[in-house]
Amino acid sequence: MSTLPGQVRLSWQDPVTGEQRTPLLTCPITLGREFACMPVELHGQRVARIVLNSSQVSRYHTLIEWVQGHIRITDQNSSNGTWINGVLQTSCHISSGDLLKIGPYEITLMFTLDGRGLPTAEASEQSIIQVPEPANPVPEEPAATPINILPPAFQAHQLVVQDLHATQLPVEEIDYLAVGAGLGSFIWVDFLRICGVAVQQIRALGIEDRPYARYQRLCLNSQIPAHERLRSNSDSCPDNIWGWPGYALREAWHEFNKGNMNPALQYLWQVFAEPTFAQTYTPRSGNVFASIDREAIRIGWPQIYRFGRVRAIRQTQDGRYAIAYSPGRKQTAFVVARHVHLATGYPVLQFLPDLKAYREQTHDFKSVVNAYEDHRHVYETLERQGGTVLLRGRGIVASRILQRLYEARQRQPNISVLHLMRSPKPQGNRFGKAQRLVENHFEFQPFNWPKACWGGTLREELEQATPEQRTNLLADWGGTTTADRRDWKRFVQQGVDQGWYQITFGEVTQVVPNTQARPTTYIQEKGLRGEVKLEADFIIDATGLDSKVKASPLLNDLVTHYNLPLNPAGRFAVANDFELLEMRNHYGRLYAAGAITFGGPHAAVDSFLGLQYAALCAVDGLVAARAPNLQRLNGLNSLRQWLKWVQNQTP
Amino acid sequence: MTPTLLGRWQTRLLLTETVGLVITLLFCGGTFGNPAGPIFFWLLQYIVLFGLGWDYLYIYIQSWRWDQDWPAALQWIAALWEGLFIILIVEVANLKLPGTGIAPGWHLGWFMVHYGLVWLAVFITSQSFMRLIFPRWRFRGGQWL
Ligand SMILES: Cc1cc2nc3c(=O)[nH]c(=O)nc-3n(C[C@H](O)[C@H](O)[C@H](O)COP(=O)(O)OP(=O)(O)OC[C@H]3O[C@@H](n4cnc5c(N)ncnc54)[C@H](O)[C@@H]3O)c2cc1C
Repeated sequence: MSTLPGQVRLSWQDPVTGEQRTPLLTCPITLGREFACMPVELHGQRVARIVLNSSQVSRYHTLIEWVQGHIRITDQNSSNGTWINGVLQTSCHISSGDLLKIGPYEITLMFTLDGRGLPTAEASEQSIIQVPEPANPVPEEPAATPINILPPAFQAHQLVVQDLHATQLPVEEIDYLAVGAGLGSFIWVDFLRICGVAVQQIRALGIEDRPYARYQRLCLNSQIPAHERLRSNSDSCPDNIWGWPGYALREAWHEFNKGNMNPALQYLWQVFAEPTFAQTYTPRSGNVFASIDREAIRIGWPQIYRFGRVRAIRQTQDGRYAIAYSPGRKQTAFVVARHVHLATGYPVLQFLPDLKAYREQTHDFKSVVNAYEDHRHVYETLERQGGTVLLRGRGIVASRILQRLYEARQRQPNISVLHLMRSPKPQGNRFGKAQRLVENHFEFQPFNWPKACWGGTLREELEQATPEQRTNLLADWGGTTTADRRDWKRFVQQGVDQGWYQITFGEVTQVVPNTQARPTTYIQEKGLRGEVKLEADFIIDATGLDSKVKASPLLNDLVTHYNLPLNPAGRFAVANDFELLEMRNHYGRLYAAGAITFGGPHAAVDSFLGLQYAALCAVDGLVAARAPNLQRLNGLNSLRQWLKWVQNQTP
Repeated sequence: MTPTLLGRWQTRLLLTETVGLVITLLFCGGTFGNPAGPIFFWLLQYIVLFGLGWDYLYIYIQSWRWDQDWPAALQWIAALWEGLFIILIVEVANLKLPGTGIAPGWHLGWFMVHYGLVWLAVFITSQSFMRLIFPRWRFRGGQWL
């Protein structure tokens, strides 16, 4: 691809959504928080104005110009400054590959002064793959088809329930319906049951009977086996809406009963002193799943769950919702429900564009893998014959993979790891008076959001903010982080000292097979000092999941059919109590939870505790709407329900 | 814990004036072999009153922390400081807090026992019982109203 002089490719990872942005722009280019505060024209040339959302970015922050054969960057008296390669600059020439840091944004600038080829891969929009699913009889349909198999009644804005009965297909009428039957659905149903709703009033539609099935698969693929610890705190208990007793207390009690005083005291000390004086306690995944199994039986989940791939959701004329689903191959059935809760999780996996392109060209699905796919063969092969792994991404999943590679090295010392990062990380995000900790280019935080996002000052601040302010706040608090775990830091330090682990920085230009069909990554280092070639036996992409609602056929259909607004992050725009207000239908209410609501009133929507918060808000909203048999949970009533939980009695 | 200012105030008021008060009344009646009298009641009111001010300071300190949280360990350190502050006022600065002059008067040892027990009860209740009767409490930074 060739570019003109004065053309610059900016590339960065969006701190809110984690997406890669790689616009190719012509100078002059301005960067700032407010579009209208940046000049439209400079010296008679149209300005390319880029908006960066963050309170650390000034309204008009920085100007990038083409001046006498050079690219020049000038800070516009910003409050927090313009940093080039870690140095604060007011005005300077830059070279290709330089790193521009403005607030939480780290932008690599690439250009050629003579306008000859700029070797940067064009990011493809659709760089995603499906979340791995179990082998099952009802496959996901391509985005365009699901409506075709539905009766004509589904073309209406509001359908008539009699029309469904007229199809002779099975129709069930129910008060409450949970779509997805994953963790978010389970938690909502748990609340409904505890607040007085009977088993036969609730239905949950999904494709796996255990609510954590998909989550567990993603955990196992990303190297969190049953004995490993998750990334949520002791009181994030999907099996217990009160969060008490938390997992730390339960684990301590268990150890105490076995006579193991040391671990018991250690867990208690951790929850007492974390994160300031002790490493943060997190529960073992196996314990969390076992606790969910117990709660599922207690609330009657096996009777509530039905197998079904949900195809479409419509309002009905009588103030309810009609849901079409496939209970088996080429079958269709309907549920008509008064209140609906949508928690379908991540529709797709985000895959780095260059890696996706590699797989498409070579049909080699073994050497280049996504961390959330089943990629056991990578470790098995490495343990057998050794080799080199190129790891991309610097979040918690990358840490877990490093841990797995470290373990593999105990069996086969002939394994080396190249960790490719886009840019160095000299300092952590800032917000107000606080700053996030950084070590060895990893940014640390106990959980995926600052703690106060769940129930503290930050939760309140985000809820009260305007949509635009929310994007700023999420950028400030977000970004890729990993947990400050002593063992992980030790692996990294050992690897660096012994030379089997190496961190490399650079912008990937392309990934192609070499003569032995091994994936070879070409990266652009600073200042066009030529390309660097990295050869590896395997490439693992640990950069992330994606939850844009348009990527799910079901959600996309809902959005287009009802013209639903999306928030700036491309997810459902929900009210503070997680209702989709535009879908309100007389008595009927439709709520959403989980990753599909990210970018709205709550930061930590995709977490156990966030799902509980969303469910609590939704149930309180339903109580206010006088939903059938639902009582507000509080005081003695709540205590009574907790005692039932303790005794494992049905609610 | 990730309290908000309002949450701190509400929780402090509720717990000291219920759980804390019950223990204090026992002290006032001399249940623990201590000299009986209303001084324990008055001291409890000062602890709450000053505490409302301390909460302001804690929220400010919290804003320097990236997670804007307040671990249990810090709660204990803060509680130690608040107790010490009362001792400093009475023992070192020799201030006569209204209400504390009535017989049997201030006794450092009994104050420490009283204060320690009240704090322990408040802490344990806030870690357990509060969550059970106020399921929204933990999501609202300690607000229960
Ligand atoms: C690897 C990993 C680790 C995580 N660790 C933690 C952690 O430690 N602590 C924490 O609090 N959070 C953690 N999370 C985040 C979060 O808690 C989980 O992602 C959780 O599973 C989200 O629940 P959910 O209901 O939104 O999605 P899911 O649990 O994925 O459930 C969605 C369900 O909907 C189904 N579905 C989708 N579309 C349809 C359709 N059209 N018809 C029928 N069914 C459909 C899916 O098959 C799926 O079963 C982690 C996430 C991942 C990926």
